[in-house]
Amino acid sequence: MKRFAVLQLSGCAGCEVSLINADEWVDQLELVYMPLVISAYDVPEVDVLLISGGVRTDEDLYKLRQAVKRAKQVVAVGTCAISGGVANLGDRDEVRALFLAGTQRHHVPRLLPKSHPVDTYVPIDLYLPGCPPTSELFMAVLQEDRDFQASKTVCQECGRKKLRDMRPEHLVGFQQGHVLPDICLINQGYLCVGSSTRGGCRAPCTRAGHPCVGCRGPSDVFIEQESEVWLKSIKRVFSSMTDVPEAEIDEALRSPQLALFLFQFSDYASGDRLVRPKDKVL
Amino acid sequence: MATLTFPLSRIEGHAQVVIEVRNGEVASAHFQATEYRGFEYLVQGAPAEQMPVIVPRICGVCSTAHHVASVKTLEDIFEVTPPPVALEIRELLMLGQLIQNQATSLFIFTMPDRFGVASILDVEDSAPEGDATAGIAARALQVRQVGTHLITVAGGQFIHPVKAVVGGVTSGIVPEAAEKMRDELVRALPVACELFDTYWQASLEMGARLGTWGDDAPACYISAIGAEEPRYYGDKIRVLGCQGGDVCAVFPPGAYESHLTVEETEYSYAHRTSYMGNVIRANSLARVNIVERLGTPRAEVYLGAFREAFGQPAHAILLFDLARGIELVYAIERAITILENRLDDEETAVSYTPRDGEGYGLVEAPRGPLIHHYRVEQGKIARAEFIIPTVHNMMAIERALRVAAERYVNTDRVSLELERAVGRVVRAFDPCIACATH
Repeated sequence: MKRFAVLQLSGCAGCEVSLINADEWVDQLELVYMPLVISAYDVPEVDVLLISGGVRTDEDLYKLRQAVKRAKQVVAVGTCAISGGVANLGDRDEVRALFLAGTQRHHVPRLLPKSHPVDTYVPIDLYLPGCPPTSELFMAVLQEDRDFQASKTVCQECGRKKLRDMRPEHLVGFQQGHVLPDICLINQGYLCVGSSTRGGCRAPCTRAGHPCVGCRGPSDVFIEQESEVWLKSIKRVFSSMTDVPEAEIDEALRSPQLALFLFQFSDYASGDRLVRPKDKVL
Repeated sequence: MATLTFPLSRIEGHAQVVIEVRNGEVASAHFQATEYRGFEYLVQGAPAEQMPVIVPRICGVCSTAHHVASVKTLEDIFEVTPPPVALEIRELLMLGQLIQNQATSLFIFTMPDRFGVASILDVEDSAPEGDATAGIAARALQVRQVGTHLITVAGGQFIHPVKAVVGGVTSGIVPEAAEKMRDELVRALPVACELFDTYWQASLEMGARLGTWGDDAPACYISAIGAEEPRYYGDKIRVLGCQGGDVCAVFPPGAYESHLTVEETEYSYAHRTSYMGNVIRANSLARVNIVERLGTPRAEVYLGAFREAFGQPAHAILLFDLARGIELVYAIERAITILENRLDDEETAVSYTPRDGEGYGLVEAPRGPLIHHYRVEQGKIARAEFIIPTVHNMMAIERALRVAAERYVNTDRVSLELERAVGRVVRAFDPCIACATH
């Protein structure tokens, strides 16, 4: 039976909760380390190591380096491990000044000067993006499910109708009250980025009426490209489907703390983003 | 002097317990939160209306509570009143969270302590054939999964919900989905009760074996559950006095600073709070001590048995765990009732105009009252504060740790039971470290 471990660095445990939701693994795999569920002190030798969370403290870094030595396959799971995620937002300079000033503590792990994704420090065999990845995606990794099929983008999995004659002039979002069912959220004036976001989640958010915030990161078309290419593509979608002025879209997309920025661009802030090859991303 | 450090598992997040022993006496018992991300800082400058999507990421276990508290805060600032159907769906969200959380705490975090094993996955391996623990892991996961499914139905996304927005919710729940969810809950109810019965029995046996139910000195209790019927969507905050059985303070979230003292410590990334110099306790036991009745059939029976056996207010810390089981049953029953209503037959959100200002949002999260407090300037977050339920329990956790340490430390030796006792004490409070530090 394949043995696997889950190492949780600085994050929210949402990835772990999603994994627990996928209860199929209970009979198929042996979970040997996951502090949320099991009392065990160290990561033993395993076939698969799932790592969630970003590297925020010196303890995170130590545990990460120790754990990967004992794993045959290392999988970075979730937005924080892959691109820094929400915690990485604390790395904009003006936030960092406040952040460091307010966090001097003794006798606890030291905060690193900067939060990093895990591949800054260790080689990664497979990336599983999502905030968090769905239970189905976890199972696809753990079972090495070659049958796993997904559309290229969230847009293709959403099922809302795009209308030619419904062209908003401004982004209005939820201020207009009720969200119309079945109609594309861009037609309704929402800043939805499902057109460039990696598929595989089955679009639960857009189906429920909330615009895609891009938590799965870029689709294959964009993942190996500069962020600029990707931003342009989103803008192109809006200029063909809406009459919203380009400057308005641009400002919304580049607003440094817009939720979508958390997911798709947080590790671009430093300008040293590593390229993740698309054949390593599920 | 000897310093004993205990890493912790089967809790949410990163924390450790450090006990210092001098000449066979317990000198200190500290509960240290060892992670930090800085949400109060990093949301500064965020467009206010993005907060309900950002803040669930404070914690993947308590995400729903943050999602709803955030929306309530913005509605307080914008002066928006959501339609009734939106409130019902938000209550379902809170109930889904409660089911998921209490099932996780009971069966994944603390059940292994009752059977002396490392995880729920090991419980049945150690049990005799035909025992009540047969198939326990699968059943436990089934019950908590019902909570997750309810969050998905009511909240859109499965961990970090998206459906609650300023003015209401993005969509209703269509009858087919409500019916399916309801059936699933109906099937889960007897399973949950059966597991809880096993848990209750195992707790009695453990208490007898240990000769203690842990720190049972009186404390103040704090909750936003309401005085009569339970309201997890959030009522005013109530404090039950240390001296007697009466509520001694009732206040809205905006007045928390004049009732609660919040302080930092040098040894932890989490703050701690107290009430007029007294140790306070939040979470399940606080609610069960404060609320008059639960009002659903099976939960009411459990509550009656609990009060008969342990009194009201009850104080011993292992009773937090039993109180969680009662709430699990309540939440399933209550969700079944709400899902009988039409949840898609009217507008689910009202329009609004954003504006600047300051506001508060309060919910009763699984771990206690959660307050969000934002100041919005030019549509952006100028300041944000998150008053986290676990923080209210910090002093209570340390007091209970000291009680346990004094039991197992004496002049000639430290009992090996101390390590297990530390785990039981901390898990009784079900602290959430990701939230506490944020």
